[in-house]
Amino acid sequence: MVPLAEIFSQVRRVRIPFSRDQVMLLLAAFNLIVLGVDTFLAHDINGAIRGYEWIPILFAPAAGILLLAAGLVAQRKRVLANIIATLIFLACMINAVLGSYFHLYRGLLPDAPAGQGLTPLLLIYTPPLFSPATFALVGILIFSAAWEEVPVGSGILHLPAGRWGPGASLKMPYPKTQAYFLMTGLFILATVVSSVLDHARTNFANPWLWLPTAVGLFATFVCVVMGAFSNPTRGDLITFFVSMILMILVGLIGAYFHLERNLTEQGIFLDERFLRGAPMLAPLLFANMGLLGLIVLLDPQPASSR
Amino acid sequence: MENNPIHKIPVWPRALVISIVALIVILGVILVIRLAGPANVATPAQRTDALANSSDACVTCHRNSSPGIVQQFGHSSMAGAKVGCKDCHEVKANTPGASEHEGTYVLASPTTAMCQRCHPVEVAQYNSSRHGLPAWVAIVGSKDLSPALMQVYKSIPEGQFAPDKQRNVIAAMEGPEITRFACDTCHSVGKPAPDGSVGRCQVCHQRHEFSLEQARKPETCNACHIGPDHPQWEIYQESAHGIAYQTGGQNWNWTAPAGTLTVKDFPAPTCATCHFSGFGGAATTHKVGERLTWYLFSSVSERRPAWQDNLVRMQTVCLQCHNKTFLDDFYAGADNATLKVNSWVTESDQILQPLKDQKLLSDQPFVDSVQFDQYELWHHYGRTAKFGTWMQGPDYTQWHGAYEVIKRLAELRQTVSDRLKAAGK
Repeated sequence: MVPLAEIFSQVRRVRIPFSRDQVMLLLAAFNLIVLGVDTFLAHDINGAIRGYEWIPILFAPAAGILLLAAGLVAQRKRVLANIIATLIFLACMINAVLGSYFHLYRGLLPDAPAGQGLTPLLLIYTPPLFSPATFALVGILIFSAAWEEVPVGSGILHLPAGRWGPGASLKMPYPKTQAYFLMTGLFILATVVSSVLDHARTNFANPWLWLPTAVGLFATFVCVVMGAFSNPTRGDLITFFVSMILMILVGLIGAYFHLERNLTEQGIFLDERFLRGAPMLAPLLFANMGLLGLIVLLDPQPASSR
Repeated sequence: MENNPIHKIPVWPRALVISIVALIVILGVILVIRLAGPANVATPAQRTDALANSSDACVTCHRNSSPGIVQQFGHSSMAGAKVGCKDCHEVKANTPGASEHEGTYVLASPTTAMCQRCHPVEVAQYNSSRHGLPAWVAIVGSKDLSPALMQVYKSIPEGQFAPDKQRNVIAAMEGPEITRFACDTCHSVGKPAPDGSVGRCQVCHQRHEFSLEQARKPETCNACHIGPDHPQWEIYQESAHGIAYQTGGQNWNWTAPAGTLTVKDFPAPTCATCHFSGFGGAATTHKVGERLTWYLFSSVSERRPAWQDNLVRMQTVCLQCHNKTFLDDFYAGADNATLKVNSWVTESDQILQPLKDQKLLSDQPFVDSVQFDQYELWHHYGRTAKFGTWMQGPDYTQWHGAYEVIKRLAELRQTVSDRLKAAGK
């Protein structure tokens, strides 16, 4: 079943040159490159980037480019491409764990009086906890997309054997499409929590700030529910499709509001305000998640069987 | 079966129904928590003592020997960011100014060389400003500057312009017994340190809390910018800006993140807003003269280098509340007032010239009461008139400024006339 074709029957006549997994990997590569830029901007606020802070800044675009290169050689050396993707997944996880630890440690007050070592307010004002976790999300996405599900809907993931190493198989608790729905839900939840923590600094004074919160939570529920169903109806798929379109719209609207906020009343462009003010790339994460959700609706047939 | 009317009833998608119900529940819970819970203001978090249970050796010992600084630092954002005592105080044994302390070497008062390890941009801006070397040279002169520091000094706008060397003569006359508690206190903001770095960040960012709010409040600037020679604090209090601060400042957003300030955070400016803060379209700076168009501190004011750029920077701040027509009119008027005070100071030189020509006035500064009179004319009253004009303090422009200048011009004329007559000239 091609979920998108259940919504728009015309889609059956359209043939795109990439498999769903390949599009996922393209999105992951793009995300890694943007993540590098975003990490640089976030760490450059005071003009003094520490040595270890360069690790994610340099790793992210390098991994993104490597992933693109893996995609290019995948037709001829599929196993090598899969191994590269898997290694990038592992490196992403290490980055995420270390980054989250550093960000959390920065927010903790271990010597504070009991009960004040980690308060909600500290979480709000600490370096964003969920930002490094983005590496984990992208890594999981890469891993899921790089390992083919054969047969489709079985939940059995394969890494083919070759001269680079023996093959491997994994039996996952859910079929890949359902897992993608669940993953998208968790990614959106992380995006929403991150957005709520950021917006809490303004005490939600602007009512527009409730838009990403409400839409994001709704999209999270839709994704999780979709992940729980093994036989979604056309109505369910339409609900999912609309919620992802809403996520994209929220991302674009948010980017506009952040831009407007940073431009000042007179519309002046000042790089400092873009560095220290409302983060320009953050709202686009909503659009990014919406796009991810739409990709889940594509034909699940792996590249090797197309 | 197919004709069963039940099959024609539209079925709500399960995903939609479950998700909407879950969303309503979650939003309802959030609403209850928000209504019942405290607002997420930053202040309570900053009051947490990050060092309350610290077993750090420095903290443990100084909690007994100097508990005040431990108490202050425990509440600082730096302590919250895991900056420890050693990060700022501990240096290598061969660091100039270092002293041995409990098995290591420390600087009792960390220099800007330590600050710039985390705040390089701020220190670089500060070192190229009036608050850097020019502040110190103003009272001790430039003869003791190393070649490297002299180069830095000359690169600073206020270092290129030396309108009057009489100022540091007063410091020399008073001697270190007095200046240590007088001139040095403020002018050390630009004092070179033994390690070659310049300045003392802690003059404005008071130890050991380093509070954003403290640095942003005008009382901090009041420590130096006060009194008969530069009564900016008094002028500010009298101005509409100062009145807004005194009557509504308690509600302003003093802890807003640097570089993002708008009129929503600060509906009226403080000293920091106009001269330092990233506000509206103006970028944050630690170069205090970067938004100024005149050397108002000098006897006869001249335009600053690139003053047109400075004007744009300052007006970018002003434009958050005032329109361009108002600003152009105000700047034109204030320029004229500055030139008027200039003409009075020039006139005072001309009045004294016959005494100099007749050798009735010493070439050495501050040996004759008439020299003090002329000094006060420009250094106290002339500058007060100019500061009052630009900072919109009418009483200081008028009665503490311009009136005193013209009164002293009259007195100078009388004194010179009397002396010439007495000398038979």
